[in-house]
Amino acid sequence: MICVKALRKIYRVGEEQIHALRGVDLEIGANEMVAVMGASGSGKSTLMNIIGCLDQPTDGLYELDGQRVAQMSESALALVRNEKIGFVFQSFELLARQTALENVELPLIYSREAGLTSRERERRALRALDRVRLSDRVTHRPNQLSGGQKQRVAIARAILNHPAILMADEPTGNLDSVTTKEVMEIFRQLHEEGQTVLIVTHENDVASYCQRVIRLRDGLVLSDLPIHEDQAGVASR
Amino acid sequence: MILSPYFYAQAIKLALSQIWANRKRSLLTALGIIVGVASTTSVIAALSGLKANVLAEFETFGANRIYVFPDRPDDKPRNMYPRDKIRIKPWEVVELQQSCPSLRAITPVTEFGVSVASDERELDGITVVGIWPDWHEAENRHVIAGRTFNQIDEDGERQVCLLNESAIDELRLPAEAVGSHILVDGRRFLVVGVIETLQSRMFGGDGNTAEVFIPFSVAIKLQSSEFFLRVTAVAKSAELSEEARSEIQRTMRRIRGIQPGEPDTFRAEAIDQYIDQFKVLAAGITAIAAGIVGISLLVGGIGIMNIMLVSVSERTREIGLRKAVGATPAAIMMQFLLEALVLCLAGGLVGVVIGKLFAIGLTMIPGASLERADVPLWAVLLSFAFSALVGLGFGFFPALKAARLDPIEALRHE
Ligand SMILES: Nc1ncnc2c1ncn2[C@@H]1O[C@H](COP(=O)(O)OP(=O)(O)OP(=O)(O)O)[C@@H](O)[C@H]1O
Ligand SMILES: [Mg+2]
Repeated sequence: MICVKALRKIYRVGEEQIHALRGVDLEIGANEMVAVMGASGSGKSTLMNIIGCLDQPTDGLYELDGQRVAQMSESALALVRNEKIGFVFQSFELLARQTALENVELPLIYSREAGLTSRERERRALRALDRVRLSDRVTHRPNQLSGGQKQRVAIARAILNHPAILMADEPTGNLDSVTTKEVMEIFRQLHEEGQTVLIVTHENDVASYCQRVIRLRDGLVLSDLPIHEDQAGVASR
Repeated sequence: MILSPYFYAQAIKLALSQIWANRKRSLLTALGIIVGVASTTSVIAALSGLKANVLAEFETFGANRIYVFPDRPDDKPRNMYPRDKIRIKPWEVVELQQSCPSLRAITPVTEFGVSVASDERELDGITVVGIWPDWHEAENRHVIAGRTFNQIDEDGERQVCLLNESAIDELRLPAEAVGSHILVDGRRFLVVGVIETLQSRMFGGDGNTAEVFIPFSVAIKLQSSEFFLRVTAVAKSAELSEEARSEIQRTMRRIRGIQPGEPDTFRAEAIDQYIDQFKVLAAGITAIAAGIVGISLLVGGIGIMNIMLVSVSERTREIGLRKAVGATPAAIMMQFLLEALVLCLAGGLVGVVIGKLFAIGLTMIPGASLERADVPLWAVLLSFAFSALVGLGFGFFPALKAARLDPIEALRHE
């Protein structure tokens, strides 16, 4: 599903070079649910952005769903994002003036599938909202929703086009423990329905929903273990 | 890269909601365009009103009138063009009437001097004029008493006549002359109407000359077979007079079998030089108005560019999100171009409406002779075209800026 080899990312700030990723190798199979952890500045977001096709690596290989993604043009990448990637952000990123339904429909605006009827678009968006159990908040606007509900709308938007991978960079970073649980239950349920999920988090509670934990340090993979081994390691430390 | 119709529908909907959400700002931004379009459309409206009036005035004194005379080419020997060859024949007038669609009316006019007598008095060498009923229309002269000639008079060769007031005076007829009889060349004619005295002396008319009008078909019989006639015609409108003139010229050349390169054996003249002069003046004023609009649209355009740049930076995160869910740079570019376009077209629309209201206002100014002021369709279309051009032109740079935003940077924007 996802295959990353010797991935490097170097940021240039003036004269200085920042090595955010120094050669990351990674494979994620279909229907895995993986957590990415690590200290602040270890390169988690950088890795997520590259896997999510929002950014290009400086060097290395990246194959998504059998497609070589590195070095593709901007428009081609946009298409990949539209069809294969679902991205959930820490701060939801909902359009304030639009309803939950309209927010979820957003990716269809940029879809290659021309000639979708409005009924079909609505049907798909309602289906996505149903999967995040928000069928009763369809016409609400973001300011009429709780944080957890907002994040669920964002998840519905991310899964609308049935992406190959659902990615979330600290999706619970702005949520309290109750709503964190509410959102993570949704991720778990989607995973059970067959969705591949990749989540960046600082919280062990969040990681405990996953089966596998990848830990980064200074732009390198520190450990890549099944959840129980990882948590045992945490406990022993 | 093809964008779906749904994309366009959403982009326009978004543009409208954006304008509505910031309506005060949008209004201020579009002010340049509104003022530019409103002032130009009202100037054009005033001008078109003035033009309509001037043309109408010309029409009343004959700007759309065309005269046709026989004419011998100057540089050719006289015997090549004998009188009978160049003489206009009645059937040629009939042909002109049928072949010139730009004409409203046409009549042959034949004048000859004969003796005219009433019970009181006999006058020699009075000008008698043979005319068709269309003459009233062609010369724009109507009766002040009695009736005009009609087709029955002409077809039936009825011995009826029209007199002008000096003829009535000179013949010592009663003031109510209609119903009296006079003798023209010894034949008895019934007076059926009194013709108004010629007002304009512009074209050589003399209001004091006695005039007697009789049907053309009757006049033919009172003259020798080689009688002389000229033609008076009137175009459907002053603007059509040149067209009508050339129709007449083409038809005459055709029916006379004049080969290309050979000179005309007649002269067809329209009196439209005044109209040409006015048109030059109007074109000058229109050009000045266009200059004004150019400047105000430039100012308006800079305002649009400014506000679009503001909009792009305000909505940086939104742009980042749209890119993250799959918007290509082209889609983002198009969305912001459409937004600038919609804003400018909305401004143009308001401008046109204000211009239209101004035009209505102009028509109500007493004595300004602008009753016909109106914004012509071409001015409306041109206003929208210019507004659109400004939107696209000045929206381009902000749209490009939005399209080039890096999605991650944009999503990190505060
Ligand atoms: N656009 C950028 N320009 C320069 N340096 C950058 C840029 N983005 C990230 N970095 C640097 O790259 C390194 C990795 O950053 P990254 O955001 O991936 O860390 P992270 O693991 O997500 O941290 P956090 O947990 O705080 O989100 C950091 O040292 C950061 O300063
Ligand atoms: Mg991060």
